[in-house]
Amino acid sequence: MRLYADDTKCCGCRACLVACSLNLFKENNPKKAALLIDARFPEPGEFKIKVCTQCGECAKVCPTGAIRQTDQGTYYVEFSECIMCGACESVCPEGVMFVRDALASSAWKCNLCGDCVAVCGTSALSIAE
Amino acid sequence: MITIKASGPLKSYLNGSSQVDVEAAGLSVFETLKLINIPAEMIALVLINDQPAAKDTILKDHDFVQILAVIGGG
Amino acid sequence: MNGYGGNILRVNLTTGKITREPTPVDLARDFIGGRGFGAYFLYTEVPAHADPLGPENKLIISSGPISGLLVPGAGKCDFTTKSPLTGGYASSSLGGMLTAELKYAGVDSIILEGISPHPVYLFIENEKVELRDASAYWGQGCITVEKALKTQLGEEFQVAVIGPGGENGVSYACINHDYGREAGRGGVGTVMGAKKLKAIAIRGTHSIPVADLDAYRQSGMALFKACKESDGLKPWQTYGTTIVTSWCDEVGALPTRNFSAGSFEKGASLYGPVMREQIVITDKGCFGCPSPCGKYSRMKRYGTYVEGPEYETIGMLGSNVGISDIQDVAQANLLCDDLGIDTISTGGAIGWAMECFEKGILTLEDTGGLELRFGNVDATLKLIGMIARREGLGAILSQGVKKASQVIGKGSEKFAIHVKGMEQSAYATHNATAMLLAYMTSDVGAHHNRSWAITYDLQVGRDQVVPEKVARIIWLQNFRPMFDVLGACRLQWVELSIDRELYVPVLAAITGIHRSWQDLEKVGARIWNLTRMFWIREIEGFGRAWDLPSPRFYEEPPVTGVTKGQITRFEDVQRLLDMYYEQRGWDANGIPTPETLANLGLKSIID
Repeated sequence: MRLYADDTKCCGCRACLVACSLNLFKENNPKKAALLIDARFPEPGEFKIKVCTQCGECAKVCPTGAIRQTDQGTYYVEFSECIMCGACESVCPEGVMFVRDALASSAWKCNLCGDCVAVCGTSALSIAE
Repeated sequence: MITIKASGPLKSYLNGSSQVDVEAAGLSVFETLKLINIPAEMIALVLINDQPAAKDTILKDHDFVQILAVIGGG
Repeated sequence: MNGYGGNILRVNLTTGKITREPTPVDLARDFIGGRGFGAYFLYTEVPAHADPLGPENKLIISSGPISGLLVPGAGKCDFTTKSPLTGGYASSSLGGMLTAELKYAGVDSIILEGISPHPVYLFIENEKVELRDASAYWGQGCITVEKALKTQLGEEFQVAVIGPGGENGVSYACINHDYGREAGRGGVGTVMGAKKLKAIAIRGTHSIPVADLDAYRQSGMALFKACKESDGLKPWQTYGTTIVTSWCDEVGALPTRNFSAGSFEKGASLYGPVMREQIVITDKGCFGCPSPCGKYSRMKRYGTYVEGPEYETIGMLGSNVGISDIQDVAQANLLCDDLGIDTISTGGAIGWAMECFEKGILTLEDTGGLELRFGNVDATLKLIGMIARREGLGAILSQGVKKASQVIGKGSEKFAIHVKGMEQSAYATHNATAMLLAYMTSDVGAHHNRSWAITYDLQVGRDQVVPEKVARIIWLQNFRPMFDVLGACRLQWVELSIDRELYVPVLAAITGIHRSWQDLEKVGARIWNLTRMFWIREIEGFGRAWDLPSPRFYEEPPVTGVTKGQITRFEDVQRLLDMYYEQRGWDANGIPTPETLANLGLKSIID
């Protein structure tokens, strides 16, 4: 299972980012979300979404095993095990592995909670195989 | 037979129902609305088979018509 | 304080002094936020009879307790000031991303005071607040400057900016943000320009605290679910406010040729579906919005892009000036946005000028050679530039139709379509008495967004003059602006027919204070009366005469269109006001009685 994003439907509202930070950190802080909305204005006038594809490249390079899988196979970060080395960030093909010491003492990534899908009014986001 | 689907605020005109079937082939949207007692001036948007349409469009059998009420404005 | 950014930022542009102080708890209790804070600071801090363009006027920018949180439409920011256009109360609401960023930076209100000796922009990054030199940007368009600042500072910065219109003192200059969202009306951008403040750039990385996290998340999600399940969602997402263009034309509400009629014989080429097909490329939403009304467009004819046009601009810079091609309307929209002037007032001013020209009151010499006839696109686009630069006829128009018609005279006052000096927005009210009353009594001048009531007019009977209509307007005026106080958009409730009761638990879970809609409407009535008292204080002799509409709506029945031959009688205009004042608890001249003020807890503020 993984998150899918249809850029053509994104209206850039960022509700997904608030829902995400609320789930990951119990905080209202879209800068601590695990997906990215890239607003390209004034030209060409479109939004691009970057989401975790559950490729597992981050887990392969994590030296402490902080990035691990649930029983269903979803990759997530066990915050207490992260040493902020940054290896995961450099290998993520989508740029959605976040290591920001000004914001959190652990790396963070999408845990496929689905809250972003729930709040996306234009159905730009979905979860499927 | 033509199916008319009405948005929320219009249900009161259809006795609480959101959908009604009418024999309206050959009638305009205006005339059909009169038939089911919905004031045309309460309708902001008409979609016929998912395409926006003017209220003087003549309906054909098996058309699926969605009508959206004007609600609150700007 | 739960739900709040937590601080009031005070910036004195004369001295450069900046202070950051905790938001008072009783201010949050009594005025809640957003335009409530704006009204309070305006009345209590701006001295009586201050020059709107002088150092004593203040521009108050406020987010609300819902802003930036997991609630549909949590993206509205209020701008309040003493209006250079009307001389009274101005409050304009801005969407986009700004209000959320204010909250993440720990700010509820920014109070801008004084006048900077040279052009500056306000830089805010959490607790770091600075005034920075903006002389390199002064004179440049809004789109260019926003792009430059975001490129220089980082894409996470939210930027609000004025254009040459605000710099040059056009009375209805606006503040632009997110490449096309505006705090449009009343000259809030003019005040910012008078203060020599070119832009505000904000970035915040704090979290917003809430009282009960689980209840907040649950009730916020419930609101998103209700929006997503609404029948109205998909059509609204597709067309936004342009969903009403065809309907307004059908019922005689589409302002045509300076409000001389309510339907436009060429209107069909302006309708929502036509616009979508011809120019729209992206739906663009404000913060947290599941029902994006914003339509981002590409105009192939001009090789340009614009956010819009939305219904108001289509009415005022389309049918109102006789223009029927949506690409031309979109281009006019872009020029106004980039130059930083309100599309509604601009369309009102140009429509008036066209009628003057058609009647021979303005000549080619007056217009600098422009054939200012209804439908002349080239003249319209040129005149927009002249207004922003205050050149030639543009200088006269830049002060609004009320003053322009006083300067030009020759009977042109009779068709300057305004109330209290603010140009009427895009609903023709020859025969729609509730909407007419809405325009007459709106707290900022002839603006529709407080109490939009045309469907109610049609339901009850458009020419009916009955207490129920008045009660309806008052209820809407107490209720709808509360969204501006909460810092959220009202259009999810307005357009998607979601149950407004869904907002009550989420507001309680955010702030920790339970408020019913009756409680909120009482705050609405309080703010309404406070800003009424501001008009009374600021304008000598203010009263009933300022609540009258343009004579066009009681003297000149349209000769074309759906409302041909229909008009409101002047005695009914007076009757509407009589009933309105009575129901509001005001005297016959429209002054709130001491008892009314006391009941709303305003006695100590007014005295």
